Order: sequence, then C-alpha cells, then structure tokens
Amino acid sequence: MLLIAGLGALATLHQLHDQELTARKDFLVRDQCLLDFRSTLDVYGNRIDEYFLESGDVQARAAGDFATLARKIQGCLRSYPENRGPEERAFLESVQKLLVDQQQTLNTAMAEDRPNEPERVSRLLYSQAMPRNRQLITATERVELWNHNRMDAASATAIQTFAGFQRHLARLLVIILSSGLLLSIGSIVYILQQDREARIRYAELVRSREELSKLPASLLDAQEQERRSISRELHDEVGQSLGALLVDLGRLKTAVPPEDAAAQEQLARLKSTAESAVNSVRNIALLLRPSMLDDLGLIAALEWQGREVSRRTEMEVEVESTGVPDDLSEDYKTCVYRVTQEALNNAARHSGGRHAWVRLEKESGPVVLTVRDDGHGFDAAKTRGLGLLGMQERVRSLGGKLEVFSSPGEGTTLRAELP
Amino acid sequence: MTRVLLADDHRLMRSGLRLVIERHPGLTVVGEADDGRQAVALAESLKPDVIVLDIGMPNLNGIEAARQIAAEHPEIAIVMLSMHSDEGYVLRALKAGARAYLLKDSAEEDLTKAIEAVCDGKSFFSPAVSQVLLQDYMRKLQRAGAEDSYDLLSGREREILQLVAEGKSSKEIANTLNLSPYTVETHRSNMMQKLNLKGIPELILYAVRKGLIA
Repeated sequence: MLLIAGLGALATLHQLHDQELTARKDFLVRDQCLLDFRSTLDVYGNRIDEYFLESGDVQARAAGDFATLARKIQGCLRSYPENRGPEERAFLESVQKLLVDQQQTLNTAMAEDRPNEPERVSRLLYSQAMPRNRQLITATERVELWNHNRMDAASATAIQTFAGFQRHLARLLVIILSSGLLLSIGSIVYILQQDREARIRYAELVRSREELSKLPASLLDAQEQERRSISRELHDEVGQSLGALLVDLGRLKTAVPPEDAAAQEQLARLKSTAESAVNSVRNIALLLRPSMLDDLGLIAALEWQGREVSRRTEMEVEVESTGVPDDLSEDYKTCVYRVTQEALNNAARHSGGRHAWVRLEKESGPVVLTVRDDGHGFDAAKTRGLGLLGMQERVRSLGGKLEVFSSPGEGTTLRAELP
Repeated sequence: MTRVLLADDHRLMRSGLRLVIERHPGLTVVGEADDGRQAVALAESLKPDVIVLDIGMPNLNGIEAARQIAAEHPEIAIVMLSMHSDEGYVLRALKAGARAYLLKDSAEEDLTKAIEAVCDGKSFFSPAVSQVLLQDYMRKLQRAGAEDSYDLLSGREREILQLVAEGKSSKEIANTLNLSPYTVETHRSNMMQKLNLKGIPELILYAVRKGLIA
C-alpha cells in the first residue's frame, strides 16, 4: 500500500513537473516572440518618424526599410506558437489588421510627393501612422500582459494541483497509518488471545501430568505392599512349615534303624527335596521383599543387596553409610532400597565394570544416595531406560530428585536426593 | 540340667525343636514364647540358662529381643535361629549378644551342639553359615587382588585371635599362654588393628570366615 502510494506520488510529481515545464516553455516562446515583435515594431516606428520628419538620404533609407520591416513583423507573427487561445487569437488578428492599415497608410504617403503637401503628410503622420503605431504597441503590450497572466495562471494552477496532491498524500498517509494501527491492534488482540489459550492448555497439561504422576506412585506403593505381604506369607507360613518338616524328618531319621537302608535312603531324598524347597521359598521371598529391610533396617538390607550382587555377578559392591538414622520412614527405606537394587542391577548388567560403590549419607539436610560404578558409562543425554523412569518415579513421589551422570568411558554415577 | 527357653512364632517349629532338645540328656525346655516380647518377659521370670531365639518373630524380632535380654541378663546364653545365612544377620545377631547362629535347615542336627557350646562359653555357627562367610571373604580378597591380612599376623597374634574367638577373656588367655595380661592386651589390640576389626562380634565373624572356629 505504501509502495503504491509512493509510486503514485512520484508519477504525480513527474506530471506536475512536466506541466510546469510545458507552461514555462509556452510562456518563454511567446515572450521571445513578443520581444522580437516589440523591438521590430520600435524600429518600424522609428523609421516611420524618420520618413515623415527627415529628408534626403535618411528618408530614402527609411522608405526602403518599410517593406523589410513589415515582412519581419509578419514573420514574427507567423512564428508565434500555433496553440493560441481565442482571446490571444483576437489580439493577434487586431494587431494584424492594424499592421495592414499602417502599411497602407505608409504606401499612400510614399505614393505622394511630400514637399508639395507638407500638411497632408504631417496629418498622415500625426492622425494615422503615429496613433496606429501606438495602438500596435498597446496591442502588443496587451498580448504580453495576457501572456504573463497566463503564465501566472498556469503557476497558480500548478500550485493548486500541488496543494491538492499534498492533501491527497496526507489523506493517503492517514489511511495507511490508521489501517496499520488497526492491523497492529488486531494482531495484538489475536496474539493475546492465543497466549491465553496456550496458558489454559498448558495449565491443563500440567494438571493432567500431575494426576498421571500420582498414578504410578500409588501403583508402586500398592505393588510394594503386595510384595511384602506375599513375601511374609511365603517366609512365615510356607518357609516355617518346611523348616518344621525338616526338623521332623531329622527326628524320623533317628527313629528309623540305621540298618534299614531303603527307609534311610528315602528319608535322605525327602530331606534334600525339603531343603531345596526351603531355599527356593527363601530366595523368592527375599527377591520380593528382603526381610532385612523390616528385621534389620535399611543399611543391613543395602549391605545384603551389595553382597548378593557380588555373589551373583562379576561386580564387587561396597556399601557404606554415615549419619543415616534408624527410624527412617517406611517410604524412604523402600525407595532407597529399590533405587539401589535397580541401580546395582543396571551396573552389573550393562556397565561392564568390576566395582560399584553404594553410599548413603545424611548430614544436616537431605538423605543422599550415590551409586557409582567403574564401567564404560553411557551417554546420559541419549539413554533413557525404563528402569531409570521407575527410579525417578519413586524418588519424585517423595519430593526428591534423581540425577544420572555418565559419559562414555567415565563410568556412571547415580545420585538421589530425598528431602 | 541345662534349662532352655524356646522362642519361635511357629508352633510346629517349636514342638519339633522341643522334641529334639528333650531327647538329649541333660537338656530340658522350661518355656516357650510366641514372639519377642514374650521371650523377654519369660527370660526375666524363668531365668533360663539358654534361650533359643528365632530372628523373624512378630512384635519384637529375635535380634531386638536378644539385645534386651543380653543387656539385662548377660549370664543367659543366646542361640539365634534363622533362615538367613547372610553376614548382615550373623553380624547383627553377634552384636546383639548371641553366641551361636543356627540355620533352621540344620537345626535338628546342630541345635544340641550349639546349646552345649554356648553353655561352655564358646561360639557355634551352622557349617552352611561358615561356608557362606568364608566364600564371601575369599571372593572379596580375590577380586580386590589384596593379600590376606591374616598373613600379616604373627604366630602369637594368631593364637590370641583363636582364643578370643573361642570366648576366652584376656586373663584366661594370659594364663593359657603364660604371658602377662598386659602383653596379651597389646597383642590383641595390634591384631585387631591389622585385621581392621572393631569389637568382638566382628572378630568372631572374621574367625568364622577363616574357619578358625566352627
């Protein structure tokens, strides 16, 4: 829009300039013509005076010049620009007519012998030639005046046109500015509206995310409860019954005479079956929920976990703790235990390291768990396993934060902070 | 007659153990407890010579019960009964004041031996427990590539380690080895330092690991 307005303004300016130039040229051509005409007319007037008032050579030269001057004057008139207005034409015609009359008067004067009739000659001069010459000059002056007026009128028109153009430009500018303003206001309103909608949507997202995040926490909780009760059940009911069975089998063994080889062999088989059943039950119960956690507390359970991993895998685990109180809440114990378990399992399975260090400490602030290995590490920015997510969920549900630092070749350090 | 108190939350287990104990001459069961709290109360009222305590009991677990009983009645010998062969349990049982640690799997065979040992002021561990402790210890040494700190001990220190683990006091050891109690103390603290052990329970555990005591 601005571009169009600018181009329009340029075109208009150009046009104005052209108009002014044309008007000026018109004026100058006419002015020049009239100037020539005037000067020729002056010379003509002088010759007429000379002719009538002088004698001898001067008179003869004046008479000789009349025809030439008349032609020159005619030439001037002819060379006057063709695009004449009606008024101008009227002027020119009257000049033409005056000129023809003057020529006739002069011809008449020259046809007669001046010395014979001096009164008649001077009469001709004073009554006809001189007034006519004045008339001619007056007419010319009028044309000149008209020309000047026309020039002034053209200038006035140009100024008027320019003023109109200015008004037009101003109007255009106002239109452009106001439409720009409207556009900006519209955009701002639109952006604000979008922003508000985005905020509302974000709030909804956060809310649903919170709701979602509570779900896994409660699921984890329920799972932990379930595991504990199954573990207890296995350990206390099945395990103890099998233990009692073993004791009874031992007593039966002493009751059966040693020489009854068949019965003794069968008893031995029964005993070994019962023993392996006890071991299975114990292992399953421990995997579900280590009884140490409830019997001996968190540190003992972590140490046990470390030894278990050391026994099962090629990785040696060291566990140390400082300042951790015994009366840590159940949630914290479970969280720390499960995170350690997961971290050690990950380290043993994936890191390729030979050592892992578990450190649990509490000074004045939060409980801090660190699990470090000397394995080959991984790109912490890219890898995001499900195990990590589970750990994060547990830690987050207690309001803590979990970080994993690792890079290829550097080993892995997991740090959980519980407030 | 050695008077025994049985504490286990499982009636079946208790009756089995009672039969094992009573079959043995010189042993008698004077009471049975369902849980840890009752065990502490009965120890107070019955004043038995030996208490057989199950670790996994409701209300008060065996380790806590042992701690309370040992604090009140250090003269009562405690045999800990457990399903777990892990060091964590063994060490904590020892720290709580138990002198013997038995696995339930082998209770029938070893219970009377354990009761007799603790009555003599000695320790007793189920062979399976000793084996687990030894294996853990050896594996750790091997993986660390470290030398066995036992090799750092002098002959005298080894003798003293053995005797301390068997439950002898410094005075008894001094008499046995014909040394002054002061010299025994010096050897003993040097030995503890070399092995990086803190207290008698850790020393006993170490001795079990090394197979120095049963």
